[in-house]
Amino acid sequence: MTIQSTLAGSYPKLPTEPGDVNVRVIRNRVDAGRATEKDLADAVSATTKRVLDLQEKQGVDLPMDGQIAWDDAQTYVARGLKGVMIAGLLRYIDTNTYYRQPEIVGPIEWTQPITAADFRAAQAMSARPLKAFLPGPYSLYRFSKDIRYGDPIAGAGAYGVALAAEAAALEEAGATWIHFEDPWLGRARAEDARAVVAAYEPLLAGRRAKTMVHVPFGAPQQVFDDLRPLPWSGIGLDLIEGPGGWDLLPRIPEGRTVGLGLLDARNTRLEEPAAVAASVARARAARPDLDIHISPTASLEYLPADTAEKKLERLVAATRAAREGA
Amino acid sequence: MPRGLWTTTVGSFPKPPRLEKVRQQAARGEATPEALHAMEREETVKLIQRQDEIGLDILVDGELYRGDMTTYFAERTPGFAISKPVRSYGNRYYRKPVAVGPIRRKEPWTVAWWKFAQEQTKKPIKGMLTGPYTMMDWSFNEHYPSRAAMTMDLAAAVNEEALALQEAGATHIQIDEPAISVRPDELSLAVKAFARATEGLKAKTITHICYGDFHVIYPALLDLPVDQIDLELANSRYDLLDRFREHRFTKEIGYGVLDVHSHRIETKEEIKEGILRGLEVLKPEQIYVDPDCGLKTRTPDEAFAKLEAMVAAVREVREEKGITG
Repeated sequence: MTIQSTLAGSYPKLPTEPGDVNVRVIRNRVDAGRATEKDLADAVSATTKRVLDLQEKQGVDLPMDGQIAWDDAQTYVARGLKGVMIAGLLRYIDTNTYYRQPEIVGPIEWTQPITAADFRAAQAMSARPLKAFLPGPYSLYRFSKDIRYGDPIAGAGAYGVALAAEAAALEEAGATWIHFEDPWLGRARAEDARAVVAAYEPLLAGRRAKTMVHVPFGAPQQVFDDLRPLPWSGIGLDLIEGPGGWDLLPRIPEGRTVGLGLLDARNTRLEEPAAVAASVARARAARPDLDIHISPTASLEYLPADTAEKKLERLVAATRAAREGA
Repeated sequence: MPRGLWTTTVGSFPKPPRLEKVRQQAARGEATPEALHAMEREETVKLIQRQDEIGLDILVDGELYRGDMTTYFAERTPGFAISKPVRSYGNRYYRKPVAVGPIRRKEPWTVAWWKFAQEQTKKPIKGMLTGPYTMMDWSFNEHYPSRAAMTMDLAAAVNEEALALQEAGATHIQIDEPAISVRPDELSLAVKAFARATEGLKAKTITHICYGDFHVIYPALLDLPVDQIDLELANSRYDLLDRFREHRFTKEIGYGVLDVHSHRIETKEEIKEGILRGLEVLKPEQIYVDPDCGLKTRTPDEAFAKLEAMVAAVREVREEKGITG
């Protein structure tokens, strides 16, 4: 049994120190014609390096690249798929953040790697292996407007096939862990189970990398029995907004990893490391056999950069305390 | 002859570049608060004149003196602190309120601005507030034990301000609740808070809701104790009209026909088509035509061009259908 700290998605793009590269400012300059796309790419790269250095300095065991070039959690990938257009702005679940809605207008096809080059570039900046990020196929379908399939099983399944190809490209680029953000699993009902399975069966089959299916903003209680037999490596639980996740712990198959989302990514109130460690101990008491990833409940980009940094400190301190208690 | 198809806007307008510059200077201490306030007043006067010239029926003060729709109120309310910037979409950021103590309204938030704006025109100026549920949902909470407790304290504060606006003479009070559309499990809390926020009001009440999954909260949304619900129709390509066919929309509607996130100026013809589609399921006297949301994300030129197209489209539909304003 191991206990590791990790992120659960993107990281704030803004610097906390004056003088650091500010990708927001550069983007504004590009929009105003006072900087070039190359300037923006350089700023994204510098910010990615800063986010990776910060995680290394803090001691995060399984860092992520922060998705500095992404506008939201799905458009970056969706716009790279054939058969998908990008349409109007919608609120991302119940957050006061937004995404542009993918619109499925033709058969969904993966034609070329979308995120692999970014992953390679970020991995080259990090001493530790990075966890790659992709949107979960079920949520990607639920976030989309389906004009083509008109059937969640077919549409979510098509996304599953396309994301499987992208996951293979990430494996080829060296990814050993891939994180799938799938908030709609926490809102799925029993009647949605066939679409959930259709989405994940092709995605998870034959994966070389380990896979973390992360469910922020709720617990996948209604579809967990259907997810259970699938070959995911880990299931990530938001134990603050989805306390029902505690009930799922005993049902996680042996040999898997559980992601414990114990630091609230949507509130500035700071957790006490000892309290987080106590929750980890509770999870270990229920399932001493599982490997554990301690993480924020979701992307830290819902927080201001200064608070995100403090949450990282607490994450690492809590992980240390949990290990000492193990 | 039927009446209807009045024109209005959702609330915010883009800040002119000279005002943006002085705001930035004031934030750095390079311009005085008095200089900033003077320019805000000057630009507000111009904006009201411009709305009059365009021919809108119900006007707004344009919120040129506000930053974000929650932060403006939080900055003036004990119990709130303000965070560093948080991203909302793409390259857009806002400073988010943080509840750090009991929230109480100590002084009027908007009454002086409303009075000033109303003095500039004979047309009604809407009083513009952010609703208690949205204020709660879009704030961090380091103080309250529950979301409900925070929401109800905010509802009491919003009610005090709404009554003060009414006392000052406002006949239209808009209390925006864009966050309502995303948490159906909390709709009853939002309804209860809205009822508290509008207690004792005789003015026409309006709420603006946008960018959420209306299919989930409709028709329960009609339980909101409000006269008019303002919705974005253009952004969702008028999909909502199908829902209105299944279950009649029973209140007045703010009928959004302009995509506020697009630089493109809609043509008069496409706006007309959208309005005509609405008239298939709504009565003209129910409809207040407006943009999908606040126009502050556009440039001033884009915002005015969009509104001119909208008013021209409404005039033609009124003429063709024999509707008076």
